[in-house]
Amino acid sequence: MAIIAVLGLIIGCFGMADRFIYGHLHTGYGSYMPWGLWVVFYLFFVGLTAGAFLITIMTYVFGVTRLKNVGTLSAFTVLVALMCELIFVSLDLGHFERIYRFIVTPNFSSLMTWFVIFTNLMLIIYLLECFFLIREKLVLWSTENRSGKAFYRLLALGKIEYTAKDRDSDHRIVRLLSIISLPAGLLFYGTNGAFFAILQNRPIWNSAMTPLLFILAALLSGGALITFLISVFHSDDEIARVLGRAVFFILVVFLLLEFIQFFVGYKTGLTSIMTSLDMIVNGPYSWTFWVVHLLVGSLIPLFLFATGINSPKAITWACLLIVVTFVSVRFNFLIPDLAVYKLEGLEQTFSHPRLRTNYTPSVNEWLVSVWIISLGILVFISGIRWLPILSSEKGGLNNG
Amino acid sequence: MARILPGEDLLIRMQRDMKRSLAADRASIKWSMIIDLAKCAGCHACTIGCVAENKLPPGVVYRPVIEEEVGIYPNVRRRFLPRPCMHCQNPPCTKVCPVHATYQNEQGVVVIDYNRCIGCRYCLVACPYSARTSDFGEWYTSDTPNPEGKMVGRAKASESYEAIPATEYGKQWPRRAHDSPVGNARKCHFCLHRVAVGMLPACVTTCVGRATFFGNRSDTQSLISELLGSPRIHRLKEELGTKPSVYYLR
Repeated sequence: MAIIAVLGLIIGCFGMADRFIYGHLHTGYGSYMPWGLWVVFYLFFVGLTAGAFLITIMTYVFGVTRLKNVGTLSAFTVLVALMCELIFVSLDLGHFERIYRFIVTPNFSSLMTWFVIFTNLMLIIYLLECFFLIREKLVLWSTENRSGKAFYRLLALGKIEYTAKDRDSDHRIVRLLSIISLPAGLLFYGTNGAFFAILQNRPIWNSAMTPLLFILAALLSGGALITFLISVFHSDDEIARVLGRAVFFILVVFLLLEFIQFFVGYKTGLTSIMTSLDMIVNGPYSWTFWVVHLLVGSLIPLFLFATGINSPKAITWACLLIVVTFVSVRFNFLIPDLAVYKLEGLEQTFSHPRLRTNYTPSVNEWLVSVWIISLGILVFISGIRWLPILSSEKGGLNNG
Repeated sequence: MARILPGEDLLIRMQRDMKRSLAADRASIKWSMIIDLAKCAGCHACTIGCVAENKLPPGVVYRPVIEEEVGIYPNVRRRFLPRPCMHCQNPPCTKVCPVHATYQNEQGVVVIDYNRCIGCRYCLVACPYSARTSDFGEWYTSDTPNPEGKMVGRAKASESYEAIPATEYGKQWPRRAHDSPVGNARKCHFCLHRVAVGMLPACVTTCVGRATFFGNRSDTQSLISELLGSPRIHRLKEELGTKPSVYYLR
């Protein structure tokens, strides 16, 4: 996996170089379709951060205390997903160097401002949570005879002794951060949905259901990711079964809400809504909906869950399929609603490729996406290798 | 509405109205535009006049003219709808800008601070009229060859138009690789740089059918105020509550 990620990083460098030299010149989106592949992936990674959110809900709301053992892995996964999400959205900006404006001249009536605030809140919460979860091991590794001691001491902020009192204190801090992460997570994912829902004249987005769908989509994709990672790295069958049931339930609810969205949309009969929905089910990229999302990402996992709910192998495969195909869900959320002209006749009047609603991601957009995803994978693998993310004695630079 | 043909060119009347408004209390001015759809001939001169005035690059258009064919042969005709920025009195775009780069000035014109815009394109998505476009840094002459010798090449070709700085918002905006307005949202601003010196917007003066009117709706003596009393007056997408300052005469 690391080799594939390194290759991806190298290939993606061509796209990154183009992005920094030529800006947005070689991208496929335009003025009537202002957001494209990078925003799709940004939404995808936002969803992947919700694994820890699901773990926290199940631990502190439903009392499944066994899940505390996987807190470190889930917190670290959130940090990696947040990193990828922030890189994607930053590269999508026309003037990245002006992001300081969020601090200097913020507009609090804009949901983008609130989204930036909640993203930073999530970053702080999970950075601290990760730190306090691994601090004991960092201190231990910094005192053992292994290479990289100085690095662990640095990460442990110079602490050389770890007492029972420190352990109690760290556990209390982690518990507090986990509890705070519940409303923070609700605000984060809900704001992400509201960001789209408040827009006028957007047939599918403009609905009270959108923030709710976003929270569910995040729980589904993030929950599936963390379940998959736990199955692979922790080999704890009981945890996998518990989370598998949760992901199964969320998948059913998500598909039900999706069905309601289509049913109500078509029954309403409004041209704008039906045009957007038709673009999903009948448009040039309808295969992403029918094959990728429904068949591979939903029906097959449903079958696996239904027939093998106690089988960790079935759960692992089901969750992997959900995660990998979830990009298509984000794609079919973002693109069709943008692709409906807001004024009839606009498409014929002033001719330019940037003034169309048909969109195909450019090669450059794909290369940049590959670079960022590869970076995310490498950071994740490196963290698993060299940091005490997993509950084992392995790790450290001398075992790298 | 039935009117006797004016004794003077409507541009002269509008120019006079404008000078009167600019000489009085500028804070009370509320600029408005009215487009008479019965007079619009669909020539697109306003589109091109605007492009030329603001040195718009490829892919950026402030005032396209939408064409629609109605009826069934032989009872068929075309109708035209010029669509500048509506300069809404309740603009959805200014609410979503995260850094206050776009806002409504005191005269009701929705403007963009090019040096503040981060290029997130949220305002483009929020506008219900698709009135905003993003400048992706394209050049008309990017594929023009630049050979040595007698032929006019890319350098000369771009000098005559697109390398000339635009003068929007009273400043010079030379066209460079990454500097604003490249990477920004852009849109119609009622040619504020012309209005500030008492000139009508480019689309108004270019209109061959005298179909576009501009003025201060707070001035009860202005042509705009007279026309706003017409029963033919309407606005696009009234149901959204955006309250455009651009009106149409059916």
